[in-house]
Amino acid sequence: MQRNQPDKKRKLRNSIALNIIGAIVALLILFGSIITTIGYFSFTESFKKEYAVTTYHMANTATALVNGDHLDEYLAGEETEEYLRTERYLDAYCKKMNVSLVYVIAVDTSDYGRFVSIFNLLDNTVGDTSYTKWELGHQRETTNDEYRQKYRAMYEQTAPYETVYRRKVSDGQRPHITTMVPVRDSAGKTAGVLCIQRPMRELTDARRPYLLRIAAGAVLMCIVVGVGAAINIRTQFIRPIRKVSDEATRFAKENVKGEPLGQISKLYEIANLARSIDTMETDMANYVENLTAATAERERMGTELSLASAIQAASIPNVFPAFPDRKDFDIYASMTPAKEVGGDFYNFFLIDDDHLMIVIGDVSGKGVPGALFMMVTNILISDRAHLGGSPGEILTTVNQSICEHNQAEMFVTIWLGILELSTGRIVAANAGHDDAAICRKGGSFELFKTRHGFVLGGMEGIRYREFEIRLEPGDKLFLYTDGVPEATDASCGMFGMERTIEALNRFKEQTPQEILAGVHESVDAFVGEAPQFDDLTMLCLHYPGPQKQTNARELTLDAVTDNIGKVTAFVDETLEALDCPMKKQMQIDMAIDELFANIASYAYAPETGKATVRVETEEDPRAVIVTFIDRGRPYDPLSAEEPDVTLSAEERKIGGLGIFIVRKTMDDMRYEYRDGQNILRIKKLI
Amino acid sequence: MTITQNRDNTALTIALEGRLDTLTAPELETLLSGALEGVETLTLDFEKLDYISSAGLRVLLSTQKKMNGQGSMKVTHVNEIIGEIFDVTGFSDILTIE
Repeated sequence: MQRNQPDKKRKLRNSIALNIIGAIVALLILFGSIITTIGYFSFTESFKKEYAVTTYHMANTATALVNGDHLDEYLAGEETEEYLRTERYLDAYCKKMNVSLVYVIAVDTSDYGRFVSIFNLLDNTVGDTSYTKWELGHQRETTNDEYRQKYRAMYEQTAPYETVYRRKVSDGQRPHITTMVPVRDSAGKTAGVLCIQRPMRELTDARRPYLLRIAAGAVLMCIVVGVGAAINIRTQFIRPIRKVSDEATRFAKENVKGEPLGQISKLYEIANLARSIDTMETDMANYVENLTAATAERERMGTELSLASAIQAASIPNVFPAFPDRKDFDIYASMTPAKEVGGDFYNFFLIDDDHLMIVIGDVSGKGVPGALFMMVTNILISDRAHLGGSPGEILTTVNQSICEHNQAEMFVTIWLGILELSTGRIVAANAGHDDAAICRKGGSFELFKTRHGFVLGGMEGIRYREFEIRLEPGDKLFLYTDGVPEATDASCGMFGMERTIEALNRFKEQTPQEILAGVHESVDAFVGEAPQFDDLTMLCLHYPGPQKQTNARELTLDAVTDNIGKVTAFVDETLEALDCPMKKQMQIDMAIDELFANIASYAYAPETGKATVRVETEEDPRAVIVTFIDRGRPYDPLSAEEPDVTLSAEERKIGGLGIFIVRKTMDDMRYEYRDGQNILRIKKLI
Repeated sequence: MTITQNRDNTALTIALEGRLDTLTAPELETLLSGALEGVETLTLDFEKLDYISSAGLRVLLSTQKKMNGQGSMKVTHVNEIIGEIFDVTGFSDILTIE
């Protein structure tokens, strides 16, 4: 509240209307003052002139009453009849003409410094004066230099009359005007001077109403113009501007188009401003609407693309390990599209138990078109491959199918191979795709260059030739799309084949998954902040080769003590088949009892879980290996402290004995924790 | 496992047949906890016992401690496997083996 007051004041002070009206009123006051001042002076001047002329005529008339030839006689002291008559006339004149003073004097012409009175008639009522009459022959000093000069002018007759204005006068007098004319003798020479004094009151009396009228007019004009201007400014200027400002504020707050302002002012600039605001609102509202629609559309597209991305990712094998049961090969692949969806793909599946089909492809396009083409190609190849046939046949048929429906004239490069798992022989065909890289066991990755056929979908009727790759156990095969060697850094340098092979060899001893991760990291490190512009797809196969036929037997069951008998019976089957000596069998059974009881009691407590027991045999030397696997809490039984077996019965502690006995009776005992599993392996030579 | 007991006044003979392991040891323990009242001479006959696990050793140890307080205990007819276990676990020094 307290802050409101100064705000209001400031608002008033800064209001356009008040400023403009204030300026107009100030101008009008100045103007009125000037007019009044000019009127005052011009009125005064013309009045004085007119007054003087009138007085002159009066004076001139009065001179007719005076006989100029006899002035000297009068002065000689004879109040003749003529003198008295003239005095009477002049007195009557004075009274009739309403003048304060009529007098005739003879001035000493030597220096006009003195004069002598001849006639002197006065009427103190006229100017509210208190003059006393000068007697005939009354001598006086000339009042001042002005009178002196003007007397001279009368005698020398250089002017028909002279006027003296006495605005500031000494005691007993009032502001007045004195007009003098020469009294001539018959020869025309000046014999004396006749002066008439009239009060100036008439001037001020006449001037006051005049000034009042002018001032009143000015004030009226101020008010009329001020009010008019105020109303005009308010309706034509302030109110429209306020409307525009209110509308702009409202629009900024609500962002919704309101009623158009329309023709709110005759003033061109303001009308223009209002029009601009209207136009801006319309444009803005349209823009916002478009933007909202566009955003919604983009969001919809985004959702669809991420769905599409998920669908695409699910259309190729993306769960690893893909074949957890197969020990004779390990395969890993990754696809990183540059956009939400990509034109690269890979695929692999077992056609039958002995044949693994591997394919990698790169469509001549990215994004949605590439993805659609990729999906079609992948499905065609998979379907065709399931029907049987060699890679060449598959590509030849699929090429034909694609060409028939290839509206967009896209094409795809494909590397397709079928690995015979039992022999390591790969029959492959290449439709314009990059060469595979192969790492022989103990060696390094090298490109395996082959003949390339024409791209798939490029031309009808192509027959694809096949080639062969022999994989030996331990070899690795690496397939990729050109997104790898053509990955580009910020300065447009390419990753290149040399770096690819280098990266591969840095990780060549690792698993396929680790190799791909390593290459991907190398590519990322090379590319840096530059955007990925091509899809990046890689596939790596490790071929350990066919596994020796093992005699391993496995039993998975609940880890509870009640199952100990089942486990020993299961292991005993193997032992009896080997004609295992009874004592050794007993020892092994005892070990099973101890170890399985441990798992049953501690691995999942207080819950229960599964345990797997594997039994296998070795030759040279003949041995039995029993492996216990559980997914319980990690526990290394070999880390337990050995019990002190020298203590007396009273000092002996229970516990730790079981593992101790197993260690003493078995020939080897190993523990490892891997992939969330406790793996405990015992070996007994038999 | 089969358990045969033979009480003769203050002498108790328990003959075990089969395996004394994780599953069967509690059985023996339960039996002994109720049968040792007034027993001064306890004989465990292992003639027909195939092997013994750490759970069995636990029962032997606690029984031996108990008998130390009320008389004597001996284990008879120990086979080679069990004898070896007694040896490596130091039970040979604790038990009276005949």
